[in-house]
Amino acid sequence: MTHKETSRRDFLKKLAIGGGGVVILGKYHFLFGNEPTNGLLKAIVVDFDKCTGCRTCETVCSAFHHPVQIDGEQLNGLGNPKLGNIQVYHFNPDVDIPSVCANCPDTPCVNACPVTADPKAIRKSIYRDQLTQAIRTNHDVCISCGSCADACNTERTGVIKMNPKTNHPEHICDQCGGDPQCVKYCPFGALSFKDVDIKGAYFGLSPQEIAEKLFERYYEAEEVING
Amino acid sequence: MGQYGILLDINLTTKEIKKTPVSKSDLKNFLGGRGLGMKILWDRIKKPGLNPMSPENPLCFMPGPFSGLPIPSSSRTTVVTKSPRTSPENKKYEHSSTVSYANMGGFFGPEVKFAGYDGIVVLGKASSPVYILIEDDKVEIKSALSYWGMGTDSFDKALIEKYGKEYQSCYIGQGGENLVPYASILNTAARAAGRGGVGAVMGSKNLKAIVVKGTKQPQLAKHKMYLELLEKARTAFREDIEGVEYWRSGGTAHALQNSSNNGTMAVRNYREGTFKEVEMINTKSARTQIWKRDFACFSCQLACKKSGFAKGAYGGVVHDGPEYETGTMLGANLLISDLAGLNKMIAICDDYGIDIITTGGVLGFLMEAREKGMIDLTFLDGIDLTWGNVDASIEMIHKIARRQGIGKIASLGVKALAQKIGKGSEEFAIHVKGHELAAWNVNVNAERMMITYATANRGACHLNSSSFSRQNNSAIQDSLGACSFAGGWYKNDISYRKFIEAITGEEHTDEEFNQIGERVFNLEKMFNYREGFTRADDKLPERFFKDAHTYGKGKDVLASHADFDKWIEKYYTERGWDLQTSMPKSEKLAQLGLEFTL
Repeated sequence: MTHKETSRRDFLKKLAIGGGGVVILGKYHFLFGNEPTNGLLKAIVVDFDKCTGCRTCETVCSAFHHPVQIDGEQLNGLGNPKLGNIQVYHFNPDVDIPSVCANCPDTPCVNACPVTADPKAIRKSIYRDQLTQAIRTNHDVCISCGSCADACNTERTGVIKMNPKTNHPEHICDQCGGDPQCVKYCPFGALSFKDVDIKGAYFGLSPQEIAEKLFERYYEAEEVING
Repeated sequence: MGQYGILLDINLTTKEIKKTPVSKSDLKNFLGGRGLGMKILWDRIKKPGLNPMSPENPLCFMPGPFSGLPIPSSSRTTVVTKSPRTSPENKKYEHSSTVSYANMGGFFGPEVKFAGYDGIVVLGKASSPVYILIEDDKVEIKSALSYWGMGTDSFDKALIEKYGKEYQSCYIGQGGENLVPYASILNTAARAAGRGGVGAVMGSKNLKAIVVKGTKQPQLAKHKMYLELLEKARTAFREDIEGVEYWRSGGTAHALQNSSNNGTMAVRNYREGTFKEVEMINTKSARTQIWKRDFACFSCQLACKKSGFAKGAYGGVVHDGPEYETGTMLGANLLISDLAGLNKMIAICDDYGIDIITTGGVLGFLMEAREKGMIDLTFLDGIDLTWGNVDASIEMIHKIARRQGIGKIASLGVKALAQKIGKGSEEFAIHVKGHELAAWNVNVNAERMMITYATANRGACHLNSSSFSRQNNSAIQDSLGACSFAGGWYKNDISYRKFIEAITGEEHTDEEFNQIGERVFNLEKMFNYREGFTRADDKLPERFFKDAHTYGKGKDVLASHADFDKWIEKYYTERGWDLQTSMPKSEKLAQLGLEFTL
């Protein structure tokens, strides 16, 4: 059994404790994923004061989501950081911004998806997963229009990108089924798995927007090298 | 396995771009990084005496077998070339010089691996400024005319703007463009392959930058074993809270206070070993006055880089620093204790892309020569270069990087300056083989430091260490792409040797593995020997035999020439080198598989 399956099973088990799973699933019958939430949505939240830009999060995310088959066994991949759903943006002056799906309660990405929802699965090509409450994609019905990426880019973090080869959206955080690897492995404790807080100072902002806030916060002076 | 067996070979004269295979035995025997770079240099430079600033000098950018894998602290890229900095006592050839290897942290080496190469070798000279753009298999030589003349900081910003997060780069500033022999190559505007003039060689090729993006990773021989080692390594760092915190809280800058206390700091052009004003530039002062944030290289848990800025007259510059070597060479060595001024000097040197260790050595030498009346204000173009003078130091840095007036000769280093000035100034021209010493003073721990500096293959080098076994281990580290600061964690069941077995499948015994380092070191030595470097060149400046420190732990402590002769002979004997010539004996070369050097 792989690590991935274990954690997903653990997550489902946690949901089911005391029959709560049924209640939660019954109460949140996400049709298109754009219903408001009362705080039960979670996301990876960054403490920018602690991030050092080491990119361990990118590599563990990539390794977990791109496993390899070795002698019939599924193992974590090598972790090319570009394949991580979380992506660290470096700026000059030194500021590093891990950018990850904010799990927006109002889901601009899902709203923008023009694919007609499958009546059985009650979902579009991009949707909120009913079990994990993370945003997921179904590439089988994706028409590669890029509307989700556009919406994310203009309204929120811009984390969703269209893969230039498959032309499907990528870099959407699935929260590793409830046990996010980036949170677990961040050597600096800069990442946590928390309730979504739309009032948070950096909620839904693009790396550039966050960087500008942090430039001011850390380096309030104007740069005058060789001045 | 675990390596591609492919070098990216670029000739800037002919514009030919090709992939050159690397033999399996070279990968096994030299690993990558500094080792494989040296093997390439040996193979390509067929004869001694090549002008290092000529198009024929190969400039090798070498990640190692650890690069591109998220093994903790495996970010290093070694740049290997023939040195434009060194020269022997008796020149056998006009351009006799040693090998040069300089390594930098950051993110460049891993990205080269992601692009599918074990190294990049640049030959030739472009007819006008260019940069190399690599996107996996797609490689282009592009015009850098619009970037030529830019400092590393603004150029770094321009590259981030143009290429964004998926690309990594390394580049030269005006120092390299102007062919300052001690120009450096930088990554992320601060992490420098600083020593040995690698940036000058890059400038001589009219190459401003290499920009790279990659999506690959090589297949490993023992994937599962690697994952288990990786997990253990990550845990070892995570659990050693105190050890990791040392680096996070201050990095090498912690050594400023300690080294001063121990009398091992370069102070007043190495005249003293303790800096009376060290509290003004130590980690405590830096943390309260300069540093705002800690930064890590690729996949590193130590985060030893500190960035921030100062307020006041020298304020407003956001940069990293001081570290031990930068803080000592531009601080203590010049009796500069103005932390903001020191930080600004570091930023200016990095922006020009010139080696801070050598720059501090040159300024210290000039200050002493001035104090002793050997040179006057006219010689210094009117710059009032006195101890502790930040403004004069900054003026001189501008002159050096632009190679204007006094900067022309000052840009050649202390050996050339002493030759020009004469009057016995060579006694305090602090260099070995033309390469300036690196912030650690000699008199206290004389045996260790003298052997460290005298026997380093790139000329005086603080990273060389003194013992046979540690020198070999350091050569292995540099050949893996591993960082020496993290070396202590890689032992027992997470040794470098085991990682290499998992990555490449090569099952070395401990002895065989250690021999890789010995092989690399001896190949470098043979390269230097062929250029005409002998025992006469493994020597220290007279200062260290004549001038005991006047206070601190080094007070009245002095080694004699007889001591040094004894120590170096002990070292040669252990190395299996001839006592008269310092050449490795033929049986030693045979034992290491280096018969081809004879």
